[in-house]
Amino acid sequence: MLQYLIILLDDTSTSFCHYECTKVNRKLISLENLREGIFFAMEENMMIQFVYPDYNLPQEYEDVIESIDHSKIKPASCCDNADVVILNSLDETSDFQFQEGIPYVLRIDKENLFSYRQEVRDIIEKVARLNVVITDIDSFTDDDFTTYKEFLSESVGQLIDLYTKGMTPQFNLLTDRMMLHEMNNCNAGHETLTLAPDGNFYVCPAFYYASPCDGKEISLADVCKKGFSVGSLEKGLDVKNKHLYKIDYAPICRICDAFQCKRCAWLNRKTTLEVNTPSRQQCVVAHIERNASRMLLEGFRKKGFYLPEQEIKEIDYLDPFEIKRKR
Amino acid sequence: MENLKIRPEGKVWQDGVSKSITFIVTKDCQLACKYCYLVGKNSKERMSFETAKSAVDYILSHESQFTEASVVWDFIGGEPFLEVDLIDRICDYIKIEMYRRNHHWFGSYRFSLTTNGINYDTPKVQDFIKKNKNHLSVGLTIDGTKVKHDLNRIYKKSGKGSYEDVVRNIPLWMSQFPFEGTKVTISSEDIPYIAESVLHIYSLGIHQVNINCVFEDVWKEGDDKLFERQLVSLADSIIDNDLYKDYSCSFFSEHIGKPQNPIDENQNWCGAGQMLAIDANGIFYPCTRFAQYSLREKKAWTIGNIHDGIDQNRLRPFLTLDRCTQSKPECISCEVSRGCAWCQGENYDAAETPTAYQRATAICKMHKARVRANNYYWNKLYRKLELEGLREEFEKNKPKSKDLIC
Amino acid sequence: MEKKIVGQVSVEERDEIQSLFERKNGLSELAKILTADNGELYERLIKDMGETGTKFQNWWTRMSEKYNWKSAENGKWEINFDTCEIYLVIEK
Repeated sequence: MLQYLIILLDDTSTSFCHYECTKVNRKLISLENLREGIFFAMEENMMIQFVYPDYNLPQEYEDVIESIDHSKIKPASCCDNADVVILNSLDETSDFQFQEGIPYVLRIDKENLFSYRQEVRDIIEKVARLNVVITDIDSFTDDDFTTYKEFLSESVGQLIDLYTKGMTPQFNLLTDRMMLHEMNNCNAGHETLTLAPDGNFYVCPAFYYASPCDGKEISLADVCKKGFSVGSLEKGLDVKNKHLYKIDYAPICRICDAFQCKRCAWLNRKTTLEVNTPSRQQCVVAHIERNASRMLLEGFRKKGFYLPEQEIKEIDYLDPFEIKRKR
Repeated sequence: MENLKIRPEGKVWQDGVSKSITFIVTKDCQLACKYCYLVGKNSKERMSFETAKSAVDYILSHESQFTEASVVWDFIGGEPFLEVDLIDRICDYIKIEMYRRNHHWFGSYRFSLTTNGINYDTPKVQDFIKKNKNHLSVGLTIDGTKVKHDLNRIYKKSGKGSYEDVVRNIPLWMSQFPFEGTKVTISSEDIPYIAESVLHIYSLGIHQVNINCVFEDVWKEGDDKLFERQLVSLADSIIDNDLYKDYSCSFFSEHIGKPQNPIDENQNWCGAGQMLAIDANGIFYPCTRFAQYSLREKKAWTIGNIHDGIDQNRLRPFLTLDRCTQSKPECISCEVSRGCAWCQGENYDAAETPTAYQRATAICKMHKARVRANNYYWNKLYRKLELEGLREEFEKNKPKSKDLIC
Repeated sequence: MEKKIVGQVSVEERDEIQSLFERKNGLSELAKILTADNGELYERLIKDMGETGTKFQNWWTRMSEKYNWKSAENGKWEINFDTCEIYLVIEK
């Protein structure tokens, strides 16, 4: 059931996830489309998340936005009154004044994550919640898996120390799985939809930025002669094969217990050509996180934080695809 | 008492444990069959030996990716025998390389082709057959009576039917491959000729008729009723004339038309992804139906190439596909779903989004008609055997599979 | 031609002869395209054909002794790979 509508206010609205914002020219959503998008969300009982560009919007836009309950996702370079702040690189964090109570999203590639592990961990101590989004998961190699495991293992030690001192920061890669009893994924296409400045709906912003004509030899858009739009304000929603975004229709994911995994439909499409099928990289990364969360849980218990309801079992695989194939 | 036997259904060599590797050697064919799904046939795209050699080298040097006990090296077109010299050269290279590399497939391989039969008796084709006889399976397509065959299987240039040019080669083919069956394809226009065509094929000495309706959405109102009547008529002929003892037709199977358990009977029907197809450009596909020349609406679905190898991520959707995930609720709860087939490539081509996970159901009413006729067939056959006192014997001697002897 | 069942082997025994049968066929078809010009590979093939042929014959000898199959003057044994059954085939 649809619950959230993401409205990209501009073609250059900040990315807050795995995808890159590929458009460089500013193009605001029309006021008419903005109003209609809000009206659509109200009628569908959807909570709106506005995604901002790195400049201030005209006042008339802000007035319309304030006409409805919402949350604001803003880039760090222009983040007044943001509900979620996006850091698009570590560079943006050097002199940044982190605010209490606000979740921060750090978008970072693997090279920077592995090179500046301490700098990333330093942020955890400054914020209530840090979401790290690795922007090139699909390129992880076996060596990267090993390094990622080391990074998370080091972070486990840091979190145990912080919690022992009475601090309770949340770090999505480690603390989320520890608190979950079922899948808690992105659910784009099933619970969340995106309205783009062109007045069309998309499964998520990534599908808006993936042009069907991106020129690559065998691009993910190439498999379909049409674009990725799933309807428009004018013609209404038309999400074909909507069920494929649900976990029940994802053969690998439905047997998986890496509950914190984003299960990113975009990355799935990009790597396997199916929205319901994750790549090996996505699965292994999610399982390294899951197993590190297990270590964190054990560490907490040794320190006397029991979380009695929670259990993360020891498993001997990193890719549930192997389990599915054996069945 | 005579040891009652009935002709077993056709069996695929090492089915379930063999890897099928298909070389699309040409996209050319002498014929332009009206029901052919290959929308992009042309005379330009011929595989070079160098491309085939690179593909063989890649496959044989990645033994850990190809762990199946056996292999079927398949050659497809267009009409594969248009490229018999190339195929011969590829087969020689495969044999030598499998042996040179001590590859486990040297002890368990087959070459396989299906031909339209037109140049079957040419010296080059015959030499190739003799050279590879012990490891070769050649299927030949004849669609039935002259009327039925010539309805669809016509020459590309003249539009003339090809029946006469094919049927003259049947005795030679049967003498070389006596256990092979023929493959018959049914489209809407063929329905009135089904019964007489199957019987005609039997009369040519072919004991096994593998027959199926096209998966594409070609069916007209009333086709299912007509189809059912044809199958009932065929059932009568087969049973009344005791043909079931020596001949088989894949339309009639004891196992189809039952409900399926969503847990235990959840396997995918199609083998796409378990197979590997290679085209003239050295591009890999999960099956030939995902190559561009097979697709009407969608772009080709590639899984790699001879230079970069197989992208294992692109195989994952195929290797985890199951029946229920790709089926509509009415298919999952269907009371007669067992035996209802699908083609993953057609599913993809007909899907509303670029996915292999949307099962095309154009064949639904035809399957249900087949099930009704199939039920009639078995009820009639069992009653006949009962009355003749042969039922028990029949049950005891139920066919297992065709004999393989050495 | 007369053909009758005279025994049955185990699945493992069937696998052994099936594998030898396949290899024997593979080697004989390879022999049609390899020549002495192929040097080392050709020599390996010739040796292999001899060894495989011996192993193949030994299997029949070993099994016939083990199971004591019925034989006939103009007869030969055949195996059905699917059922593991052994037939005695007599040419008339």
